[in-house]
Amino acid sequence: MLAGSILADLGAEVVVIEPPGGAAGRRMEPFLENTPGLERSLTWQALNRNKRGITLNLDTLDGVDLLGSLSGKFDVLVESVPTAATLSFGERAALPSKSIHCLIHPFFRDGPKANYLQSDLILMAASGSMGMSGEPDRPPIAFPFPQAMMETGAEAAIAVLAALNARDEDGVGQRIRVSARLASMVSAFSTPVVAGSGNPEATRSSGGAVIANVTVPNIFPCRDGYAVAVIAFGSAWGPMTNRLAAWAAEEGFLRSELGERDWSPFPVQVGTSNGAGEQLESLIAGIQGLLSRKTKDELWAEGRRRSLLVAPVMDMADIDHSPQFSARGLWNDVDWESRSFRIPARFAQMSNYSISTRSLAPMLSQHSAEVLRDELQLSKDEIQALFVHGVI
Amino acid sequence: MSAPLEGIKVLDLSWVMVGPFSTRYLADLGADVVKVESSTRIDPLRTLGPFKDGVVGPERSVSYHNLNAGKRSIALNLKRAEAQDIVKRLTRWADIVVESFTPRVLRGLALTYEDLKLVKPNLIMVSTSIGGQTGPYADEITGVGTMGASLSGATFLMGWPDRPPVGPFGPWTDEVAPRFIVSTVLAALHRRRQTGEGCYIDLSQAEAGMQFILPAAWEYGVNGAIPQRRGAQALLRCPCGPYPTVGVDCWVAIDGSAPTHWEALRKTIGGPILDDRYDTLIGRLRHRESVDDVITSWTTQFTAEDAEVQLQKAGVPAHSVVRAMQIAADPDIRLAGHLTTIQDPVIGQAEIEGPRFRFERTPTPVTRRGPLIGEHSHEVLTTCAAFSDSEISALAEAGVLV
Repeated sequence: MLAGSILADLGAEVVVIEPPGGAAGRRMEPFLENTPGLERSLTWQALNRNKRGITLNLDTLDGVDLLGSLSGKFDVLVESVPTAATLSFGERAALPSKSIHCLIHPFFRDGPKANYLQSDLILMAASGSMGMSGEPDRPPIAFPFPQAMMETGAEAAIAVLAALNARDEDGVGQRIRVSARLASMVSAFSTPVVAGSGNPEATRSSGGAVIANVTVPNIFPCRDGYAVAVIAFGSAWGPMTNRLAAWAAEEGFLRSELGERDWSPFPVQVGTSNGAGEQLESLIAGIQGLLSRKTKDELWAEGRRRSLLVAPVMDMADIDHSPQFSARGLWNDVDWESRSFRIPARFAQMSNYSISTRSLAPMLSQHSAEVLRDELQLSKDEIQALFVHGVI
Repeated sequence: MSAPLEGIKVLDLSWVMVGPFSTRYLADLGADVVKVESSTRIDPLRTLGPFKDGVVGPERSVSYHNLNAGKRSIALNLKRAEAQDIVKRLTRWADIVVESFTPRVLRGLALTYEDLKLVKPNLIMVSTSIGGQTGPYADEITGVGTMGASLSGATFLMGWPDRPPVGPFGPWTDEVAPRFIVSTVLAALHRRRQTGEGCYIDLSQAEAGMQFILPAAWEYGVNGAIPQRRGAQALLRCPCGPYPTVGVDCWVAIDGSAPTHWEALRKTIGGPILDDRYDTLIGRLRHRESVDDVITSWTTQFTAEDAEVQLQKAGVPAHSVVRAMQIAADPDIRLAGHLTTIQDPVIGQAEIEGPRFRFERTPTPVTRRGPLIGEHSHEVLTTCAAFSDSEISALAEAGVLV
């Protein structure tokens, strides 16, 4: 869903093809007023703006034939298959040579897991990031919203746009295969290269680095919620830690000599310095004390003024109220189901194009007749006959 | 056939993760990426591990190689006017310029889009930062992806409802934002081929991060509820989640919620799970804890890999919750050829990742190591900016090329 959504946001004309009973995305939570329905999924709404939607029963010869004809009218066909054993539509059909066929496989299609059954959770388990997420005394955690589908969709959008640029050169399309597992592994950053670099595996540590046997937290309670404060060292980030320490000392939460010292070389000095762990613990306690007395707004304002690695942990209401995002034009206004609200739509601001919400997600089969008429010149009777026979 | 972006030239002024991650995609697609860096202002990624064999050094970071594979490096001290002039001459060569400075910095160097457009009218330029180039706080927001995650709403959503948030793994927006940067750049490049127009792209990493959790924004907008943390629990599915296995902090993820998967899971485990209380989804949701207990008493007898194989054989979606060592050993990764051995003059052999997609007609280039600092300074100045040898010597002597 996200692949098509990115392409549609960037101006492409995208048609989503669903089975007559509706796409799986329509059954994804959350739902409007927590009441389910094929037209009530907020995940479906979020990821299908700016698309048109048609239904086609691909278990019928007519459905397959129509999809074949439609594929010829479009530049790109994006498809995912549940396992390697499933032959995709684009592989069965003879697509025109200009077609770009993006085929998403869950695992490597010639490997031992090619026919593994999967879901978002399974792919995230295989990504490497889930195994490093959450506190060590509890199970690994995941986002409350699916992520493998986002990682994979975003990866597929890149592949499609690259193939489109290649086609600009010579007019010829091609098939691209995207691995959902490899795409999801981006969330693990460089974890996959740890073994081959001769390093031991890291253990789960609630997100913070471990220096001098002290786990350095990066999330702290503040007066009205939580804040991120990154305590980092080295020439790039050490000065920011120095400034944070200085602030904590100014306000009386840290001994003045710890507020005045240069923390940049701290990790390399650990081996030679007595009481390094104690100093680090004092620094953390000082920062913790400082942050606990401030609100999220106060912390961010002062953090920006002093150029610190400090930011409020924002929930959706905080983001909605932030003057920064509003002033930039992040939001698109949306009217849906007699509600007016706004959504963070503009993932990029461009000098000569603006991402906008031209239409809401399609209702089930909303554009079937229109697309079959305009793209394939089917008559009114033919379209009705397809409906009567359950093809659309 | 040549690679998809063969012939496209990229000048990369970015550092750490977001920018290099983005230009790594472009290099993977065949673009010629020249990275500007400096030994006077070391790319912090060179100070982050894993370091080859655990030995720290600016030319030893394997994650640097992983994010900068296939690029060339020119060393420039951007504080010098001569270096700023070199950037302009390289801009004339480039199709795309990528930068990730704190928004105010390029103004000080007179290297903004407005400045660079004068030497390259159809330039495509990306500025990426945590909070974007405009807005009341633009010039003040500096930072890292951990803060981007926090400002995007992601950090708040990761953790347990009864505890403070812990946030996603790593500097999260550093892995999310590159996808939106690269898509937007490629769309702009496609448009430039049709219209000749360039483009300036201002991408806030926090705003890009929101796209991966859009359902949360809709839930707030439509239902007026602030989405909360849920730990590892899938509210509307059962059983679905990680289960402990033999080993320290070892887990197998099982999604046995769908009827056929549930029946397959039951058949595999046997015993108390056959209780008719669990026949229906409603029954399982109402007895979630005991369902999880029964599954746990089975999974704890096996290693995660063993449980995964048994369950998949039986027709249950399952996968070991992997970490670094399992990924490196996984035949799914090995046979796909995803990990490539590089040969480097400083660290010798190491493994880095390859692309995550395969083009059937225009294959992506073989994955190569990242550059040493300034490894290609002379070559780039000569071939991309037409400097003569004597000019280059003078610049080197003046301390510009460091």
